[in-house]
Amino acid sequence: MAETICRALRDGGLEGEHAPALTIKDSLVSPFGFDVFTHVLAQLSNYVLAGKSQSRGLVIVAFSRSPSFYVDLLKKKGIDVASSQKWVQILDCYTDPLGWKNWLNAKDLSEEASSLSKVWKDVRNLDKLYTSIIELGKGLVGQGNGRFSIAIDSVSEMVRHASISSVAGLLSNLRSHDRVSSIFWLLHSDLHEVRFTAVLEYLSSMVASIEPCTIGQRGDLENLSLLEQNFRKGKFHVRFKRRNGRVRIMCEELLLELSGIKFTSVSSEEEIINQRLLPKVQFNLQLSEKERTERAKVVLPFEHQGNGKPIQIYDGRRSLNENNDETGKLPTDEDTDKGQIIYFRDSDDEMPDSDEDPDDDLDI
Amino acid sequence: MAATKPRLSSFSRNISALHSSQSPGVKYGPNGSTFVSTGIPDLDKILGGGFPLGSLVMVMEDAEAPHHMLLLRNFMSQGLVHNQPLLYASPSKDPRSFLGTLPSPASSKDDKSRDRDPEQEKGLRIAWQYKKYMGEQQPNFDSHRDNKQDYCSEFDLRKPLERHYLTGPRVDCFSIQDSKNLAALQDRCATFLAQFQRNDGSSSLVGRIAIQSFCAPQCEHSNMEWDMLSFIKSLKGMLRSSNAVAVITFPPSLLSPSCTKRWQHMADTLLSVAAIPDEDKELAKLLSGYQDMVGLLNVHKVARMNTQVPVILDATTFSIKLHKRRYLVLECLNQAPVDGSSGSSYGTSGSCSGSSKTGTLDF
Amino acid sequence: MDNQSLNLLDRALGFDQQSEPWSLSGRVVVIEDCVETSGSFVLHQLVKRSLAPNSSNVIIFVAFANSFSHYDRILRKLGCNLVAQMDNKRFIFFDMLMLRGPDGDQGRIGEGTLVSLYEKIQKKLSGLPGDKKNYVTIMIDDVSLMEVAANGASDFVLDFLHYCHALTSEFDCTLVTLNHEDIYSSMEGSTFMLQMEYLADILIKAEPLSTGLAADVHGQLTVLNKGTSHRLGSLGNKIQNFHFKVKENNVEYFYPGSRV
Repeated sequence: MAETICRALRDGGLEGEHAPALTIKDSLVSPFGFDVFTHVLAQLSNYVLAGKSQSRGLVIVAFSRSPSFYVDLLKKKGIDVASSQKWVQILDCYTDPLGWKNWLNAKDLSEEASSLSKVWKDVRNLDKLYTSIIELGKGLVGQGNGRFSIAIDSVSEMVRHASISSVAGLLSNLRSHDRVSSIFWLLHSDLHEVRFTAVLEYLSSMVASIEPCTIGQRGDLENLSLLEQNFRKGKFHVRFKRRNGRVRIMCEELLLELSGIKFTSVSSEEEIINQRLLPKVQFNLQLSEKERTERAKVVLPFEHQGNGKPIQIYDGRRSLNENNDETGKLPTDEDTDKGQIIYFRDSDDEMPDSDEDPDDDLDI
Repeated sequence: MAATKPRLSSFSRNISALHSSQSPGVKYGPNGSTFVSTGIPDLDKILGGGFPLGSLVMVMEDAEAPHHMLLLRNFMSQGLVHNQPLLYASPSKDPRSFLGTLPSPASSKDDKSRDRDPEQEKGLRIAWQYKKYMGEQQPNFDSHRDNKQDYCSEFDLRKPLERHYLTGPRVDCFSIQDSKNLAALQDRCATFLAQFQRNDGSSSLVGRIAIQSFCAPQCEHSNMEWDMLSFIKSLKGMLRSSNAVAVITFPPSLLSPSCTKRWQHMADTLLSVAAIPDEDKELAKLLSGYQDMVGLLNVHKVARMNTQVPVILDATTFSIKLHKRRYLVLECLNQAPVDGSSGSSYGTSGSCSGSSKTGTLDF
Repeated sequence: MDNQSLNLLDRALGFDQQSEPWSLSGRVVVIEDCVETSGSFVLHQLVKRSLAPNSSNVIIFVAFANSFSHYDRILRKLGCNLVAQMDNKRFIFFDMLMLRGPDGDQGRIGEGTLVSLYEKIQKKLSGLPGDKKNYVTIMIDDVSLMEVAANGASDFVLDFLHYCHALTSEFDCTLVTLNHEDIYSSMEGSTFMLQMEYLADILIKAEPLSTGLAADVHGQLTVLNKGTSHRLGSLGNKIQNFHFKVKENNVEYFYPGSRV
């Protein structure tokens, strides 16, 4: 549930623990990643403002949208922007990431936006970027023990200017900094090799993937309405690495609406996920209650002999309740005692040994 | 009956729309474009007049057959016959020696490929109401047959071009094997094209550039894909402001697929040639005239200068034949009459042509 | 101009007769085409629409593919006089045909070329009078040739496009780019086109019909309009698909099978 991940980010990390980190992952066939990102951002902002969260400030590292966009976003969510500089700062890697602008027009950004943001001109140097993020955050929460959260609006954009290992280094250093409460970032999985996605998933404690509802070919024009549907809603899968070592898997449906993104639960999805976890075998590995009692009743071969009764050799004709059979069905009683194997020897020369059951000398 | 004439359809109309200018080497077309002949009458018809000045023509070679040379030779000869200066670049160490293989226009005494038309028609009994259409289908420039210089000459591949055309400053040859980078070629083209600067008004002098096998492996630049692209882009830029046409041939099999696509996009007119398998009984059954076919020509793109309307051809695949072993002739592919027993019907020539685009078959 | 009914492309782009004549402010339009089917006519249509008399649009046209006279002749037949618009300072033409970087370090030339192009564009934008500043359209024809001009430095081209995107949010201008999708689809592992599709608010793809080329129908257009995503409140994306036939003075758009 989207609520769960927002709460996890809100609660932050325990003492000595890495900060919870969320990867939001999408692709062109279901491009809602940024909508989910803004949703989470808005939620976290609300928590921060209301004082309900561990972090007292929020640093937005903006690569793909301008600071004015974020100002408008906050306004639209009903957040008072005038006093925002006390709790939110934007590191602006959007306006001039490579220093191409020789001068910056004072009119480039609105007043509100400029008070909240700091222009960053060198996105290739991730060490300096790291320092800058930390400084910005510390500036928000003061010199004490206050913690802040970080939102990176596109790791895909960040990795265009730096190597995978330096991006990984930046993210893991941020996670392990003791003043960072929580961190989340957006990734477009189809822009990278699989390894980069794997690296980010490795570095995060929560992975939210956005997938299309129906998988069709991108160029499949016969199914225009199907394609259109993929642009209005999608599936939201979250894998949550919990402290107890277990993975919580959640799934929802998301709908794009005027007011933003809306999450609705789809209960049937959970079953599908669970089934996917188990390897597909033809055996029925689950036992019903009846099957369990039957199993308890069965006397195993090495148990029933040697207690006074005549010793019998297993001849394969007893009905088998205790083991799984291929079809997963219980053999009924009618099936036993029917069917015998009649063996005709090929010739008299045949070695009598072939008749012997090699286990004859064993007392089973 | 299998028509051996190429389908004229709308192109005969285009031809008549071309106005002759004072010099026989150029013709004026729509949208302010000026055409020069390709040197192959059938190709002129297919392309709606010839190659427009200021355009870049690309011919994709087939590594298995030298048919692009046929196109190149006729193009070069045509220009020389019309006194149009020529810049020829090739990967060979001595490009000038190639000039000896250029064909000469057939003299009016010789049998020409066009002569076959009236011969065939004598055998036809045409209903009277259709006779008037038969006359119209004759290409316009047949009436100028007596002129010394036709817009498009019929080249006799067995007769070499007279020496006097090849001497003098009109022909400039350049070897692209050695030049370490393409800057030298680019400079050469720039100086050459400077003679044909387009001023609004009369097109006095017209030039032709022929670059053969541009990415041939023996050239040092052949694995510098971006440099070659850069050269083509600047050549095209220079052409746009000149009264000249450039033809570049290249083997796409030696380039990466995406690089080939980039080259294709840069061409104004895009053609490709393909080899056909030898002694292929299947093809012989499928296509009439297979025995005479030398190769295949595919027209992928036709230049549209100053207009946004694309040219959609009725047929895009043609067979290259040598009429009387002398004259280059292009024909629409015709399917041989299908006998009832065989199951195959509308096969395309896709199996034998190296290019991906195959045209529709006429029958 | 207002009297002309809107064609299918106009509607797919979100043009509406009731509202302002140009509703693409702040949006990025990406046109994709291939060797078989050229998408340039879409660019021409946007130029014509942008320079409609009742609008105050300014176009900054960055031409890598063709010379000014080419566009002039074409737009004239469409009913738009580019020379006059140039005089009115409504059509600014950057001729990049002969762009040739200085010889030297390959990598740096690419970036340098693009940085100076960006500076030129930004200077032009900043230099516009106040009322015109808000209705600028930057058009690039085409991006694959920009890569050639940058000597193959596709990363720098993406950086340049990013900076243009920043211009759209700074000045509320429109960015229209044309690129050849088949170049990248024949390249293994290329994400260049995907990067552009992520940038795009409107994606227009020109392709041949599955049945091949025909004289009556020159191809099909698929338009994906991602809604007003830069202003929050996205309505979801709409996809439209229809056929077209390009003529000298007009382009006809029609749904398959409904040709009049």
